[in-house]
Amino acid sequence: MISFDGEGIMSREFENPFKRMMAIRGIGQVLTVTAGLIVLYVVFGIMNPVFFSSRNISNLLRQIAPILLIGIGQSYVLITGNIDLSIGSVVGMSCMISATMMTKGVNPWVAVVVTLIICLAFGLANGLLVSFAKLPPFIATLGTMTIARGIAQIANNNYNTDSIGEAAQGFRDFFYYGKSFGLYNTIWIAAVLWFIFNFILMRTRSGRHIYAIGSNVEAARLSGVNVISATNKAYMVSAFVSGVVGLITSATTGMGTMDAGNSYELYAVAASVIGGISTLGGQGLLFGTVIGASIWGVLQNGLQFAGAPVAIRNIVIGVIVVVSVLLDVIVRSGKGLRKKRVVSSL
Amino acid sequence: MILLVIQEYHGMNEKDYSVEMHNITKTFPGVRALDDVSFTLRPGEVMALLGENGAGKSTLMKILSGVYTRDRGDITIFGQAIEGDLTPRKAKALGVSMIHQELNMCNHLTVAQNIFLGSELIHGSLLNEREMNRLAKDVLDSLQIDIKPDVVVGSLAVSKQQMVEIAKALQAKSRILIMDEPTSALTSVEITQLFTLIRKLRDTGCSIVYISHRLEELQHIVDRVTIMRDGKFIAEQAFKDLTLNQIISCMVGREIKEKFPRIPVNKGKLALSIRNIQAGRMVKDVSLDLYQGEILGIAGLMGAGRTEMTRALFGVDKKDGGEVEVEGVPVKITCPEDAIASGLVLVPEDRKRDGLCVKLSVRENISLPNLDIICNKAGIIDRKREKTMVNKAVSDLQIKLPTSEVNASSLSGGNQQKVVVGKWLARNSKVVIFDEPTRGIDVAAKVEIYNLMNELKQNGIAVMFVSSEMPEILGVSDRILVMCDGKVTGELDRSDATQEKIMEYATRFEKKLDDQF
Repeated sequence: MISFDGEGIMSREFENPFKRMMAIRGIGQVLTVTAGLIVLYVVFGIMNPVFFSSRNISNLLRQIAPILLIGIGQSYVLITGNIDLSIGSVVGMSCMISATMMTKGVNPWVAVVVTLIICLAFGLANGLLVSFAKLPPFIATLGTMTIARGIAQIANNNYNTDSIGEAAQGFRDFFYYGKSFGLYNTIWIAAVLWFIFNFILMRTRSGRHIYAIGSNVEAARLSGVNVISATNKAYMVSAFVSGVVGLITSATTGMGTMDAGNSYELYAVAASVIGGISTLGGQGLLFGTVIGASIWGVLQNGLQFAGAPVAIRNIVIGVIVVVSVLLDVIVRSGKGLRKKRVVSSL
Repeated sequence: MILLVIQEYHGMNEKDYSVEMHNITKTFPGVRALDDVSFTLRPGEVMALLGENGAGKSTLMKILSGVYTRDRGDITIFGQAIEGDLTPRKAKALGVSMIHQELNMCNHLTVAQNIFLGSELIHGSLLNEREMNRLAKDVLDSLQIDIKPDVVVGSLAVSKQQMVEIAKALQAKSRILIMDEPTSALTSVEITQLFTLIRKLRDTGCSIVYISHRLEELQHIVDRVTIMRDGKFIAEQAFKDLTLNQIISCMVGREIKEKFPRIPVNKGKLALSIRNIQAGRMVKDVSLDLYQGEILGIAGLMGAGRTEMTRALFGVDKKDGGEVEVEGVPVKITCPEDAIASGLVLVPEDRKRDGLCVKLSVRENISLPNLDIICNKAGIIDRKREKTMVNKAVSDLQIKLPTSEVNASSLSGGNQQKVVVGKWLARNSKVVIFDEPTRGIDVAAKVEIYNLMNELKQNGIAVMFVSSEMPEILGVSDRILVMCDGKVTGELDRSDATQEKIMEYATRFEKKLDDQF
């Protein structure tokens, strides 16, 4: 509930805690999708009681963690009013670079640090293309998406790597197999990073500037906000969490795979949008991304239990994305769709 | 520290300037926007910066506030010569704030968050929201503005947003405040409030630059006047030494003989008849008749429901009841297509948002609603017919263009308005509704718009003219309807209409205010 805190955002005049909560921007959709998440979860649980087992819950959370991480990155970028299509490829790039280094005998932790630095640099490049070179974000990151995938492919001469081996066991435990306080480390990594990035977004000047440029970039610029720096920060967060997910992937599979993270950028958009992050910028709560990623995970996991083939799962998730955005549009325009459409055709 | 500042201020003599700009030149691709312009400003004065649209006023002020960088020229602010480029941040630090015509607020953020945008208060490395809310409230209170610091700016009315912009400038300790057309969206009550505020600021030693097209306002607040034309400096003088006509002739470079040209035309047949239209909360009960060859002015205060009435009439918003007849034939209008088909067209209030596709060319804009006429049966655009239609509209309306292929966004306000009109004149429209057609355009272009309306009425078209500016409503209309609170509260003939009478009708609220709350 941390994200709902912060007396600053709300008035001291909202004494009623419910009113207080409803006053937060974008809370409506977060609450709606939270209710949706609970319903989904219960329905799947009733269909198959194994779904409720602690073992499955643990697995489910571990499935959700990487989606939440890339969701955080995409949410940051969406809130600035841009989009990052390179997320999936950066996951692949991170996976291949780290695994290649480890198979070549580099200390795994050195490999982790080097990989994350490369990812941050890649994020900076994304940010500069959009903020400094003023390329449309869709095109800029479409280009870097292909470049990152290319880097993933040349990392090990167009082959997946061999096993990262015994030396990397500590690395694999840290990112995937190990448990702390009864939960898989992957879950802890996602939770800790979420807390940090939510805190930055809600409580620091950098976070405020990220919202401001998404809301009205010209107003922000004229108020002395450094638009280039704020945009860069968002893209660097996005590339950083993608890098972490790449590391989780190589720890999971124990090797580097060139097509790791394929189409993750779209899952990241889905998690953000289901959670109420506006694709137009300036609006959304990172708590929503948690719910969005969870819905994605519960659907995947639940449909799998129900025996639905992959194709059906894809269709269901696609429908959920469209419907949640549609609901958002209807709620925001107040009077429904008709008015909006007519105005734009005037 | 405060003492020092006061001493410094008192130490200045009359000739000390807060701003000196000399020989400023600025070129945009293909246009010399400013040519060797000089401008000075003293502490504790209100300077009006006047000129037609495109004269370079906003450009000059945007250079002073760091939005644009100058090509050449010297700027001195409070005695400090500016080396190199002036950025928004640097200008702000020197005490320069500009309130832009198109308000620049982050709609999703709160009032306090907007006021402190770019200069957030930090406690450790965290935002100190509590303190920012408190200080924002102090500033708003000191201006006697009744806005809570924690409401989201997007939920405020435009006038309130403007007040927030002023509060933001004050919070930044600005000593030089530039206001670009601050009153264009305000009601007369709000304008009075704004003027009180401006005088208060001036008395504390602030320098204020005031850009406005409403010349009648100037007498209330202005000390000096700088006039520009076509990117050049024309004159600078104390306001009391100038007459309004001298100002206008300096602005346009020629005498405008008639501010409100009129052509008497005999009223024709009934063109439009509306009975008991209702729509939403804003339009409660409107009936009116409109005749061929007449200009019917619709007056009223902001929020009287005039714009909403035109939108309901044109089928943009849903009507909850009422009948519409065009030339005696009942018509059912549920969408703009219906309205256009029955010969009713709307020139909307916000031309950039609702009137034009600004990224399309003038040609494409004009032919957009007329594609049914210029396409052949297979739906392929007949280039020749399109070209003829566009050329005719451009020459009929005397739209100033290098070619009809330029983007609509590149035109001046007046020419844009003509394009909006032009797209409707290409078809046989019977009723043309103008909603605030002269907002934000200069004197000469306004006269052209009035002439245009006159021409329409000479051709037997019925014109409905919604405006918030009393002088033009009185000057141009043949008949005036006054609206208040979603209803027609009065009708005046041109011969006996006065500002006072209009105001009286415009404030005729029903005494059931308590029921509403």
